[in-house]
Amino acid sequence: MILLKLISWPYFRKHVLRTLLTTAGIVIGVAVFVGMHTANQSVLFGFNHTVDRIAGKTQLQVTAGETGFNEEVLETVQSAPSVAVAVPVIEAVVDTGIKGRGSLLVLGTDMTGDRSLRDYDLEEGDEAVIDDPLVFLAQPDSIILTREFAEANGFGVNSTLALGTVLGPRQFTVRGIMKSSGLSTAFGGNLAIMDIYAAQRMFGRGRTFDRIDLSVRDGHSVAEAQQELQRLLGPGFQVDSPAGRGRQFEAMTAAYSMMINISSVLALVIGMFIIYNSFSIAVTQRRSEIGILRALGASRSQIRWLFLGESAVTGIIGSAFGLLAGLVIARAIAASIGTLMRDVYGVAQRADEIATDPRTLGLAMLIGVITSVVAAWIPARQAAAVDPVQALQKGKYQVLSAGESRLRAGVAAVLVLVALVCLVGSGSRIVFYVGFLLVIAAALLLGPLLALGLARLLRPLLRAIRPVEGSLAADSLIQAPRRTSGSVAAVMLSLGLVVAFAGMSGASYNSIIDWMDGALNPDLFVSPSQDVVIRTLRFPQEMGQEIAAIPGVSRVQPVRNARIVYRGTPVMIVATDIQSLSQTVQRKPVVGDAETMWRETAAGRGLTVSDNLAELQKIRLGDTIEIPAPHGTIRLPVVAVVVDYSDQQGTILMDRTLFQQYWHDDSVNLFRVYLQPGATVPDVKARILEHYAGERQVFVLTNRELKEYILRVTDQWFSLSSVQIAVAVLVAILGIVNTLTVSITDRRRELGVLKAVGGLHAQIRGTIWLEALTIGALGLILGLGFGAVNLYYILEIVHRDIAGMRLDYVFPVRVALALVPTMLGAAFIAALWPAESAVRGSLVEALEYE
Amino acid sequence: MIDIDHVSRQYEGKRQVTALDDVSLHIGKGEMVSIIGPSGSGKSTLLNLMGGLDRPSSGEVRIDGEALSGLSDDGLTRVRRDKIGFIFQFFNLLPTLSCLENVGLPLHLRGWGRGKVHERASELLNLVQLGHRTTHLPEELSGGERQRVAIARALSIYPPILLADEPTGNLDSRTGHEILRLIRDLHTRLGSTVVIVTHDMKVAESCERTIAIRDGHIVQDLRR
Repeated sequence: MILLKLISWPYFRKHVLRTLLTTAGIVIGVAVFVGMHTANQSVLFGFNHTVDRIAGKTQLQVTAGETGFNEEVLETVQSAPSVAVAVPVIEAVVDTGIKGRGSLLVLGTDMTGDRSLRDYDLEEGDEAVIDDPLVFLAQPDSIILTREFAEANGFGVNSTLALGTVLGPRQFTVRGIMKSSGLSTAFGGNLAIMDIYAAQRMFGRGRTFDRIDLSVRDGHSVAEAQQELQRLLGPGFQVDSPAGRGRQFEAMTAAYSMMINISSVLALVIGMFIIYNSFSIAVTQRRSEIGILRALGASRSQIRWLFLGESAVTGIIGSAFGLLAGLVIARAIAASIGTLMRDVYGVAQRADEIATDPRTLGLAMLIGVITSVVAAWIPARQAAAVDPVQALQKGKYQVLSAGESRLRAGVAAVLVLVALVCLVGSGSRIVFYVGFLLVIAAALLLGPLLALGLARLLRPLLRAIRPVEGSLAADSLIQAPRRTSGSVAAVMLSLGLVVAFAGMSGASYNSIIDWMDGALNPDLFVSPSQDVVIRTLRFPQEMGQEIAAIPGVSRVQPVRNARIVYRGTPVMIVATDIQSLSQTVQRKPVVGDAETMWRETAAGRGLTVSDNLAELQKIRLGDTIEIPAPHGTIRLPVVAVVVDYSDQQGTILMDRTLFQQYWHDDSVNLFRVYLQPGATVPDVKARILEHYAGERQVFVLTNRELKEYILRVTDQWFSLSSVQIAVAVLVAILGIVNTLTVSITDRRRELGVLKAVGGLHAQIRGTIWLEALTIGALGLILGLGFGAVNLYYILEIVHRDIAGMRLDYVFPVRVALALVPTMLGAAFIAALWPAESAVRGSLVEALEYE
Repeated sequence: MIDIDHVSRQYEGKRQVTALDDVSLHIGKGEMVSIIGPSGSGKSTLLNLMGGLDRPSSGEVRIDGEALSGLSDDGLTRVRRDKIGFIFQFFNLLPTLSCLENVGLPLHLRGWGRGKVHERASELLNLVQLGHRTTHLPEELSGGERQRVAIARALSIYPPILLADEPTGNLDSRTGHEILRLIRDLHTRLGSTVVIVTHDMKVAESCERTIAIRDGHIVQDLRR
C-alpha cells in the first residue's frame, strides 16, 4: 500500500492524461456491458412488470400460444376441482391516436369474476358500474382508465375516448379511474379495462379468448392444479404461472441477448487491450524506477503487486465510472430496444424505467476489476522480471527480440493448425468454439509481428511521400513495436468485429431481400393494425370475399400467423391458402422439391418449415413433426425446407384448412391482395379504404411500403453494428492517443533535434500525423484481415446458435472501404493533440532530456 | 554577427531562478569564441539564446542584425536552419537514420531534392573523413565518429554561425582533440563564426576569444 502511495500516485499525477486514457479503456468496456445489459433487462422488466401487475392474484394462466381458444375451454377449466376462480382474458394493443402517448394496452375481462383476481382500486367512477358488473356488461362502451393516463390526457369519468378497433374508431365512455398503484402501473400506465365480450367484438376475436387466468382452490397446490389442467386440456395448451410468460419472452428474444452478450464481451476484451497497452508502456518507461526500487531491496513480488495494485485501483475507478456511463447509455437506448423488440417479435411492452439489477452492476464491477488485473498481469510479470543492473542502463527494451518473434510465430502457427483441425471436427459445438478462440489468440500473437513487417514495407512509401517525416514516422513504429502493438491489436480486434457484423448484416440483408422478392409479391397488404407485426387485432375471414369483390382485385390470400410453443420454444405458424400461394410466389425450397412442397402442404398432408427452424430444432426432410393444438395434435411429415424470415425462432407453413381444423379459428391477421391487370395500386387501395370507412379499422400497405417497413426493422436490428463502429472508432482514438503520447515522450529529444536543425511546426506535426496514420493503417489492414476470418466464424455462430440461418459469405467491401477514411480520420483526430504537444514542447528541455 | 543586448533569462517554477542577468555581448563575423563557467553559471542558456532555441525574459538577441524577439516559432526555426549549425555534447543523431540521412536531415527539411541532398551530405561526410560510413547507423559508430557526423550535419547548410555545446565533453581527450582540430579547420576554411561552450580550459584557450560567466553575469571577456 505504501508503495502505491509513494510510487504509483506520483506517477499517476505526473501522467494524468495517460492515466485517464488507461481508465477510459475499462470505462468503455464496463459502460457497454452495463448499458446493453441494463437496457435489455429494462425491456424484460417492463414486460414482466406488466405481466405481473395484470396477473394480480392469478396463480396459473392457460394459453395456447398466441392463438387463443374457444369459449368452451373456460367451462373445462372452471370445472376442474382444483380451480377456485377462472376468468377469461383478452389483451389487445390499440392506437389511441393521441400524439405522444403511443399505444394503449386494453385488457378485456369478465367483470363478474375478475375482481377476485384483480383489484381495480377505483378512486372515482359510477359506483353502480363498479359494484354491479352486469351494469358494466350492459354498457359495452364502458372503459376504465388509469389515473396517470386520464390525467395526462384530460379524461374524467363520463368523458369519451376514441380507440382504433377492427370495427374502425369507436367511442368509449370512461366509467371509472384506477388509483396509481398495482394494476394501474402495468404497461407504463397506458392501460384500459373493458368487458371481455366487448373486447371480443372490438378486436376481432369471434368466440375465442386469449387466455384464462385462474386461482387455485384452498387445499390444492399450484403444481396439482397445473397437472390436473394439463391433463384435462391436453398438450395443445400451456398451463403455467404468469412468470412463464416472461420466460417465453426471454426465449423469444434469445438471439438478441446473444448478440448483446457477444458485443459486450468484445467491448471488455478491447478495453483489456487498452489497459494491457498502457501498463506495458508504463513498465518500459518506468524501468529505471523499477531498477532503483530493486536496487534498494524491493522484491520481485513487491514490484509485481505494485503494478497489479495499480491495475486493481484503475479497474475499481474505471468500473465505477463505467457503471454510471452504462446507466446513462441504458437510459438512452432502452426505449429504442423496446421498439425494436416490438417490431421484431411483435410483443408489446414498455421500458419506461431503467431496471438496475444489483447483480448485473456487481458483476460488471467485478468483471471490470478482473479485466483490468488480468490485462496488467503480463506487464506486471515483466516488471517483476526486470534486472536491476540492466534497468539502470539505457536499452532497447521496446524491441521484440528475434527469439521472441520466433516464439510468437511458432506458437501462432501451432494455434492456427489446431484451429484448422477444430474446423474439420467442428461438428462438436465445443470444438468449434475452441477453434474460434484459438484463431483470436493466433491473431493477437501474430499482430505485433505483422504490424512490424507491414511498417517495414510501408517505410519506403512513407519516405517517398515525405523523406524526413515519413522515415521518422515509420522508424518510430519499427523501433518500438511494443509501444504500438497494443493499440494495433485493439484496433484490429474492434475492426474484426465491425467487419464480421457488417458482413453478417449484409448477408442477412441480401437474403431478406431475396426472400421478400420471392415471397412477398402481392400488390397490397390489408392489416387491422398499422403495426403489421402486432397480432392482437384480427379480421373475420368473410372480409376476404368482400375485398375480392372490390373492382381491380384479382386474388385475395388470407394469412393467419401466430406464435405457438413447439418443443418448448415459441415458433411462428403461418397458415394460408397454399394452393393459391403456389400460383403466385416463386419459392424454391433449399431442401426438397417445389412440386411436392406445394402439393403436399396444400393438401394438408405435409408441413413446410423454415431453414432456421430446421437447423435450430434439427429437423430433416421427411421427419414427422408433432404440433400440439387445442383440438388435437398435428402429426405430419416435413415436405420441404424454405428460406423464411417471418420469425427468428423459425416458421411452420401450413394450409389454412389445417389450422382451422386444429385451432377452430378462422380469423385473419393479414390479407394478401393481388390486382387485376390494368388496375392501379393507388386506386384499389383507395377503394378498399373507402369500402371499410367507418365500419372497420383497415390499414392498406403497398408492396413497397411493407418491404420498406421490413427493411427498416432490419436496419434497427443491425443498428448494433453502428454502435460497434462507434466503439471501434473510440477505441482507435484512445489507443492511438495513448501510443502517440508515449511515443512523443520517448522521442522528445529526437523531435527536439528535428526542431533545432530546422524542422518547422508543420514538419513536426507531419511526423506525428504520419505516425498516427500509419498506426491506423496497420490496424486497418490487420483488422480487415482478421475480420475476414472472424466473419466466417460469426456466420457459423449465426447458423448454429443464434438464428439457424445459413448466410452466404460475402466480404463487406463497401463497409471495408468506408472504414478506410473512418479509421484514418480517427487516427488523424487522435494525433491532433499529441502533435500540438510535440510542437509546443520546450526545445531546450527536449535537448537536455534524459 | 551575434548581438546580445541587456538580455536576462529567468525560469519560473516554485522558485524563480535567474540564469542570465542583464548580459550584453557582441560577437563579430568569423570570430571563434569560447564560453566558460562552472555548472549552472548560465553559459548553455546564453548559447541557447544565441541559437534561437530559447527566448530571453528581457533584452534582445540579434543575429546578423535581425532581432529574434519579434519572430514566431517558425520564424526562429527559419533563422536556425538558414544561419546556425548546432553541435551537441550528446551528438543528438537520430538513431534510426543512417549517417548520410542524418547529415542530409536539415537539407530535407529545407525542401531540397534527393539528389542534391545526397551530393551535399556525401561531400560533408568526406570532409569529416567519414565518406566510408555513409550507410552506417549511429550505433555502429564510435563516439568520435558520431560527433563528426553531428558536425557534418551542423555544416550541411554552410551556416555562417556554428554553435557547439560541450562538443568534446563526451569524448576521450584524444578524440576530443581531433574534433576540436576539425572545428578549427572548418572555421578557417569556411570562415564561420564559431561559439563553443566548454568546461575544458584547453578547448577554451584554443579559441581567439574567451568569455567567462558566473552566476548569470559575464565576469571576463578575454581576447588573445
